[in-house]
Amino acid sequence: MIRLEGVVAGYGGGNVLQGVDLEVNTGELGCIVGPNGAGKSTVLRAVSGLLKPSAGRILLDGEDITGRTPDAVLARGVTQVPQSNGLFATLTVRENILMGAYVIRKQRALVRQRYDEVLDMFPLVQNKTGVRCGNLSGGQRRMVEFARSLMLDPKLVLLDEPSLGLDPKSLTVIDEAVAIMRAKGKAVLMVEQNVRFGLRMATSGIVMESGRVLLTGPAQSVLSNPEIADLYFGGAVHAPVQSDTAANQPTTA
Amino acid sequence: MTTISGASRLLDPRMQKLITRGLVLVAAVVIVLFPLSPSASAQNTVILALVLAIGASGLNIITGYTGYLSLSQGAFIGIGAYVGAILATRFPDVQPLLWAPIAGVVAALIAMLLGLVTYRSRGPAFVIITVAFLFLVQFVAIEWVPVTNGTAGLTLPLPDWPDPWGNWPFHLALVVLLALSLTMTWWIRRTKFGMGLIAIREDEGKAGTIGVNAPVYKLLAFGASALFVGMAGSVYGYYLSFVDPIGMFSIITSALIVLSVILGGRGTLFGPVLGAFIIQPVNNFANDTFGGGNARLVIFGGLLVLLVILLPKGILPTAAALLEKTRSKGTVGLSGARLNPLDRPLAPAEARPPAPTGRTLLEVRGLHKSFGGNHAVNDCSFTVPEGSITALIGPNGSGKTTVFNLISGTMTPDRGEILLNGERIERLSPWSRAHRGIGRTFQITRLFREMTVLENVVAPLRDFSVRQLGLGAVSGSEAARAEELLEFVGMSAYRDARAGALSYGQQKLVELAQVLMLDPKLILLDEPAGGINPTLIERMGDLIRALNAQGTTFLLVEHNMPFVVGLCDPIRVLARGAVIAQGSPEQIQKDPLVLDAYLGDDYLLEAPSRSVNIPVVERNPA
Repeated sequence: MIRLEGVVAGYGGGNVLQGVDLEVNTGELGCIVGPNGAGKSTVLRAVSGLLKPSAGRILLDGEDITGRTPDAVLARGVTQVPQSNGLFATLTVRENILMGAYVIRKQRALVRQRYDEVLDMFPLVQNKTGVRCGNLSGGQRRMVEFARSLMLDPKLVLLDEPSLGLDPKSLTVIDEAVAIMRAKGKAVLMVEQNVRFGLRMATSGIVMESGRVLLTGPAQSVLSNPEIADLYFGGAVHAPVQSDTAANQPTTA
Repeated sequence: MTTISGASRLLDPRMQKLITRGLVLVAAVVIVLFPLSPSASAQNTVILALVLAIGASGLNIITGYTGYLSLSQGAFIGIGAYVGAILATRFPDVQPLLWAPIAGVVAALIAMLLGLVTYRSRGPAFVIITVAFLFLVQFVAIEWVPVTNGTAGLTLPLPDWPDPWGNWPFHLALVVLLALSLTMTWWIRRTKFGMGLIAIREDEGKAGTIGVNAPVYKLLAFGASALFVGMAGSVYGYYLSFVDPIGMFSIITSALIVLSVILGGRGTLFGPVLGAFIIQPVNNFANDTFGGGNARLVIFGGLLVLLVILLPKGILPTAAALLEKTRSKGTVGLSGARLNPLDRPLAPAEARPPAPTGRTLLEVRGLHKSFGGNHAVNDCSFTVPEGSITALIGPNGSGKTTVFNLISGTMTPDRGEILLNGERIERLSPWSRAHRGIGRTFQITRLFREMTVLENVVAPLRDFSVRQLGLGAVSGSEAARAEELLEFVGMSAYRDARAGALSYGQQKLVELAQVLMLDPKLILLDEPAGGINPTLIERMGDLIRALNAQGTTFLLVEHNMPFVVGLCDPIRVLARGAVIAQGSPEQIQKDPLVLDAYLGDDYLLEAPSRSVNIPVVERNPA
């Protein structure tokens, strides 16, 4: 479905991605985890066309989409839910969701049908359709962003930290939303700092560090890999400040 | 590595510095000695270019640094010229060049009046007001006949120095003024004052919350932007020997100044000068070839459009970016590596919360705030005990961030009281509250994107004094403290990186270091753990405990329940804009109201969903 081969990219102060390889197939959910600034969001930007790789290839269903513009990538069925501030604050919830169908706006019946479907999936936004998005809370905005990303019935959805700013009750809604996306045969590539939350939902885990993929595998095995857990998922807390264990560990770098 | 080609040597930063200095020196020598040129018209062009360069260099302070685009900068040349001309005709025995300083002061004072407008407007509205200001000044010059002689204008005496001196006195006076103007611009960029101005440009609201008294800064910036321009105006008026309202207050002059700043590069030291020395010859050429008038307008309009399309950042910044791009091509950029929790000293593990003082540091009473018909905060009352780590939790949309905005002064409440140490603060400005010891972070980080990480951390100001404005922006002890804080949040490798280039989580950490620089009594943290690596969440908890042990009080909004339960006591629960429950973590987790509104009925059955690895049972019993 989506496949990255040796992708190198940066923002013009050196490369952030140092050759990234990863793959997510239809119906799968790949979750990228790793330290802050490891290049997780940069991978999503490279896929969605917001950032042009300087080397490597990005293949969508076998088609090379490397360096395509964001609208060309969108037209091929890839939508992204950005990390923050992705909504038009002065437009209403309804208008924002409909903006997700901008490229198919002429097909009115289809847009109306998708809009109803999407609203059904996100009951939290149902009674807010007339509210300006600037007046919503952070979590409510997130819901609208999810809803909007599904208006094009995409093949691949890119989620950048979906749990960010959501209260504990709303987190289950993401579970549901992602489950719906997968059931409909979509591939999801997600970045998540909330490692347990992310990997619990995911089928495959992708661990990144310093612009490279360090390890990939079934989400459960990544989650339970003791060494990875210790290094990335808050080992200090997991094994409360046992300096001897850490000192005895073989260096993995 | 062993063979250095000529091209790569050119890319060496030290070499570049040398080349830059050489170029500036050559340009300076050429400009200073220009009257040696036999061509009178070329001499004239350079003198006009100098006036334009001084105007552009001044405008750079408010447009480049502070972020306010003004179309009335030309008015200050005119005001200076008028002041010089009026004084020269009243006191015929005094050499007219000597009036320049007075002209400069008058222009600066009038500019500060214009600066007052920025209290209420910015962006396009402000630009339109500056145009109106220009016409207003012109109107005064036309109508105040007893002083200005109306539309007939004022004629100055011709220079009384020996003929062979020619244009030298005018030329040298303007060169000196340009040098002074550049020195001032250079100095401002290096002081607290300049840092505050850039903070205002980047995010005026945020600048307030870190203690920058924006109105005073802006007034001073407007004064500084016109000081040398007024002086140059009086020299210019004397050079022309005739001053009239139509010529002096033409909007073309202002447009040329803006164009110079944009062409050369906003916010750079030499950019506006370079722009002026390009624009003025083009202007003269257009005047001579197309007979001036409307054809000239078409040329400059077209030039402006081209500029915005091709060189939106101006010549110097574009060149610098290109060089940087070539230099860093193929190199490895900074990216986040693992943070082994044990490779750095953690905060002292034995940090104990301070003994309760029994006093209330912050009290919120009956707070109301609506947006349209939406009652975001609806009769909200709670207290934050001194020395506590208090949590404010609640469902999305319950008004937590709005409460933060009301406490930090980013918004004003419709009704209700906020008391800090018993003092009413709900009507104070954000910076006064920052000076009284309230620091905050934002849910979606608001760093000054164009500043470096280190500059961001040293930007906060604990108080306001005029003396402080002149202090170095990144001075020794502060820089040391800032680096210490960066080290603590694990961001010291990024100290010279542009803040806007950091990832979300990294910005969050830098913002925490930034607020700590204020050394506040009360720190408001808006979702400190959101988007942060679990290892760092734990480190942040340690940091908060360590600071708390030293007496800092915290109020934090957070959805990560294990983090909250392990760290905070008491907890206030907000729903629909009001506090529905409060108490210790144990009480809150059992409260049926809270389970229903926030945690969800399955909270206790399921493992904490936003888990860092702190099981609830293992939490710090303190």
